[in-house]
Amino acid sequence: MKHLIYGLLIFMVMALPPVSNLLESIMIVHMHMQMPILVVSGFIMGRFFQIYFPVFFNKWNENGFPGILLFCIIMLYWMLPRTMDEALTVQSVQIFKFISLPFLAGIPLRDSWGKLSSNAKNIIIAVFTFVFIVMGIIYIFSPEQICNNYLIVEQITLGWGFITMAICMMIYLAYKTSINPEEYE
Amino acid sequence: MIKYKQTTFASAIVILFGIILFYVGTDGFRAYTAESARLYQLMEQNPAFPDVTLEDSNGKIYPISELKDKYLFITFMYTSCGTVCPILEMNMGQVYEQLPEEYIGDEIVFLSISFDIERDDPATLAQYKEHFYQADGKTWRMARIPNEDELSNLLNEFGVIVIPDGTGNFAHNSAFYFVDRNGFLIEVMDYTEIDGAAKTVLEILEREKGE
Repeated sequence: MKHLIYGLLIFMVMALPPVSNLLESIMIVHMHMQMPILVVSGFIMGRFFQIYFPVFFNKWNENGFPGILLFCIIMLYWMLPRTMDEALTVQSVQIFKFISLPFLAGIPLRDSWGKLSSNAKNIIIAVFTFVFIVMGIIYIFSPEQICNNYLIVEQITLGWGFITMAICMMIYLAYKTSINPEEYE
Repeated sequence: MIKYKQTTFASAIVILFGIILFYVGTDGFRAYTAESARLYQLMEQNPAFPDVTLEDSNGKIYPISELKDKYLFITFMYTSCGTVCPILEMNMGQVYEQLPEEYIGDEIVFLSISFDIERDDPATLAQYKEHFYQADGKTWRMARIPNEDELSNLLNEFGVIVIPDGTGNFAHNSAFYFVDRNGFLIEVMDYTEIDGAAKTVLEILEREKGE
């Protein structure tokens, strides 16, 4: 139960209009802070749903594959420049953002991540690393404004944010492949 | 295999959901940015050019209806802009060049509308006009819309988004807008595709002449 409360609490704070307006006013915060926190809120709530609906998750997400697929689709969807613009200008898209990120990305991620093999996890991280590098290059080098609601300078900042995240994930992957944790136990 | 029958089914549902989500979210895989979605929508809607009063580089004040019965080739810009606008206007000049002289002025008028009403007074516009030798103030006019409500109404109707960046500059989207004789927006064209824009305009003018 406490998972649900903590998760919902984060979710509700994020949904407060002053909080969401503030976070959405800065492009990089919108994409690299608000959206991930929404996923995290779902991730925390996920435990509650796992406990109360174990049959559903075991039956339909037995190997974790459908869940992680859903997570990836939702994440890719919110990386489209258009969706980020429309989250600001179209109310139904904004509502969909607040529903999809916690409930269609966060919860499936919670349930799937534990079920995936270590190799599968590395592949997922590698895929996101690749996508982040591509997105970073697009946002940094685009001569045009990609999102109508944000300035080009914010766009470049966001691009570097993507590259930074990609570098962090690459360091993690390098660490995973080069270090055997058993040596330190 | 039987063991994973349900997860395979669930995965198929998820993929289907993903396809529908992306299809709906991008107008059928056509518009990945809000800008392209905007253009796509504008071409479907053909909004009418609202009633506005122009103040041009000659200091002349007149309603847009004075230019009725002519095709209008429009761009939105501001003179202090150091990035996109000079290119936008230069490309506009090239479209002007590519059209046969017989059409210029009589059938079609070029119009650069400034959204910087504070700074772009007639004198500033006149000075800016000098950078583009085709801009004679008659067949290619530069003007501002002094009334703020009229300006924002027009920008809104034509989907032009202008954001002041706090240092006196604006972030804005750019395109060529083509308005027909009845004042309806019929084409929104990529301002970097000069030849394509000129071709489209010429086709429309010639088609009408042939009728």
